[in-house]
Amino acid sequence: MEEIFSSLAKDFVDETQPLTQEVGALLLKLEEVWRAGGNGKSLLRGVRGGLHTIKGNAAMMGLSDIERVAHALEDVCPKVSDEPPRDPGGLVQLLIEGCDLLGALVKSAASGDGETGRADAFVARAAAAEVSLREAKAPSNGGEVAQETGAANASVAAAVEGNDRRGSARIADEDVDELLELAGETIVGQTELLRMHGRFARGQFEVGDVASMDRLLVDLGRTTRHLRDRLLRVRLAPIATLFGRFGRYVRDLARERGQAIELAIEGGDTAVDRAIISRLYEPLVHIVRNAVAHGIESADERQAAGKPAGARILLSARMREGRVDVRIADDGRGLDLLAIAAKADAQGIDTSDFSEREMQRLIFRAGFSTAKEVTNLAGRGVGLDVVAGAVQGLGGSIDVRSTRGQGTVFVLDLPVTVSLQKALIFGVDSETFAVPTGFILDTIEIQEKDLQEINRVLLASWRGDFVRGIDAGRLLGCQGLAQAWARPYAIILHAGNNRGALLVDWLSGVQEIVVKPLDDMFAACRMMGGATILAQGRVVPILDCMEVARRISKALMPERAVEEKAEAGYHVF
Amino acid sequence: MSSDAEGAGARHESTGDKAEPLLAFADALLAEAGREHSDVPGDVRQFVTFILHDREYGIPILQCREIVRVSAITRVPEAPAHVRGVVNLRGHIVPAVDTRSCLGLGSVPTTARSRLIVVEVAGRQFALIVDRVKRILRVAMSAIEPVTEGAAPSGATGVARVGDGVIHLMDAARVLREGESAVGSNARGKEA
Repeated sequence: MEEIFSSLAKDFVDETQPLTQEVGALLLKLEEVWRAGGNGKSLLRGVRGGLHTIKGNAAMMGLSDIERVAHALEDVCPKVSDEPPRDPGGLVQLLIEGCDLLGALVKSAASGDGETGRADAFVARAAAAEVSLREAKAPSNGGEVAQETGAANASVAAAVEGNDRRGSARIADEDVDELLELAGETIVGQTELLRMHGRFARGQFEVGDVASMDRLLVDLGRTTRHLRDRLLRVRLAPIATLFGRFGRYVRDLARERGQAIELAIEGGDTAVDRAIISRLYEPLVHIVRNAVAHGIESADERQAAGKPAGARILLSARMREGRVDVRIADDGRGLDLLAIAAKADAQGIDTSDFSEREMQRLIFRAGFSTAKEVTNLAGRGVGLDVVAGAVQGLGGSIDVRSTRGQGTVFVLDLPVTVSLQKALIFGVDSETFAVPTGFILDTIEIQEKDLQEINRVLLASWRGDFVRGIDAGRLLGCQGLAQAWARPYAIILHAGNNRGALLVDWLSGVQEIVVKPLDDMFAACRMMGGATILAQGRVVPILDCMEVARRISKALMPERAVEEKAEAGYHVF
Repeated sequence: MSSDAEGAGARHESTGDKAEPLLAFADALLAEAGREHSDVPGDVRQFVTFILHDREYGIPILQCREIVRVSAITRVPEAPAHVRGVVNLRGHIVPAVDTRSCLGLGSVPTTARSRLIVVEVAGRQFALIVDRVKRILRVAMSAIEPVTEGAAPSGATGVARVGDGVIHLMDAARVLREGESAVGSNARGKEA
């Protein structure tokens, strides 16, 4: 047992020590870039990626000193999205010292000599520095912290700081106490597990170990679930906070038209994720504006049709089967199917065998605004297709029901909470995929000269080093003829112990996506971590980076490629 | 007012089949089947029938949720051969199953007449890609003949004779299972 541990420790040192040196080198470059006024995003990404891996490696080995120092460094290290610090000197100095300490701690890990004292001292310094950094930043972007971190203590800290700005939440003191207590319980459980792990690693077993571990895991499981549930509740807010914003809006619209429009609200106390509430405002504005511009008739028209002159718009929400049903209803003229048919005709869509429902749903297609005249209420270049995309992007769906002369109802079916993840969208051949940003070290432009093939291994040069690469089209089985050499971009992935370059055709921005699981039919698709719906309703598969990085680390160029290159007159070595 | 909304939906479904051809009719029937099956006399079964390779097949209307046009199908790398990919069904990501390859008929590209029959079996939703949708078939239980070995595709649960045509009655879950047993489909391929 002792031997196994020491060989694991050796692996750990071999793997982690170069990382500490690499992070140190990146930090020096970062300081230069910052001093020159650059933002050094890719360097920063490298630093954060390196620290994260060191922390993960140390946690797996139960080396809590290293883990704590790496964690403290991550806390003080600016986020990739942050503005570069104005005076980087002190911060970089602290980071470099921490990095040196990590190097020393890693080196001593093999011998088993702890330096808990030094680690404690550094963690305390880093914590002090982080507080002062945060205070310095708080007026400008204190709220951002809440959106970015999943860690319980960080969100609590941000929430306590919180105010009414977007991305922050108010929490009652007793809730904070309860959350802290739960967090404390998980730490106690984890410490106990670590202690047992240390004992097992030394080959010491006691009677009843299995039973006490069972008990520990059950307790820990219950506590963490409880913690998550409580945190989720913190994220909920009554939808009235969203609906309430429409009172003024509808009144202004009504005044512009010189017509009374009553806004009614039902189910305002329905609790929904704040992330959903903040992203639902724009789509609702659009639907309400549409209702007023296209749906509601003039007062004369309404009276001729035997309706009251004043129109009515209803916003309602209710829970249904664990989801939220949001409706926006108006009592206007209803959808004009003839106008929709004409529009479809103009776009070359054959609607001869469309059902009424299918006709109505056409309004969610791109370019289907049917306003007779462009008023300042409608025709602002945003269509209902964008609204549908936004709703689907939140993991929801949208539908419309309308009866001529009686009104239109938009029905939104939404989840109560969403887990939004940041992902980079890329394309290869004619297909589009998403990669979670947590696994991306860097994205670079790449040329043929940056790639070489040695013994059927494709190597891409990156920051003066080489990483194994693979053509994304081949890895993902796309139907294209292009090869690795022709791809203009590389995504450098880092997952587990593997690192690799994915060669792709184009990169699009990073965006927040809702991860949806794939059906069991796709169980064999190990490289897929789910799918998401982008704006315009496009379904895009999400890569499982652990598996992709593992495949890259084993990938060989096809033999055929060597022959082709030889035929093309290349030197083959 | 929200009850008005539901009223609006219901009214539409009863008037939708007035002049519209098949799809509206199917829509209305599906809605009806979803609401109350008791309308249909006990010994009459309803099937949505579709065409694959010039032959007519039917699946129970109670398994069908919806019939939609084929929109963009996103391929999923390393998916089994009988699954063409996934589609966005108003915010739900639903697998699109290549019905032809499930039944060993050879995959073909979709056309303007191709449809997705969205089915739900045991709480699981997926879409069957078919060459085209033909009709809603009402057939008395007594008129459904058992499958004769070798004469019907595997996965068939019965045979209905309409005029001089033969309609193979299928079960959506069994169609999917046929596709999953790749060995079976290979064997059929060799026989053919």
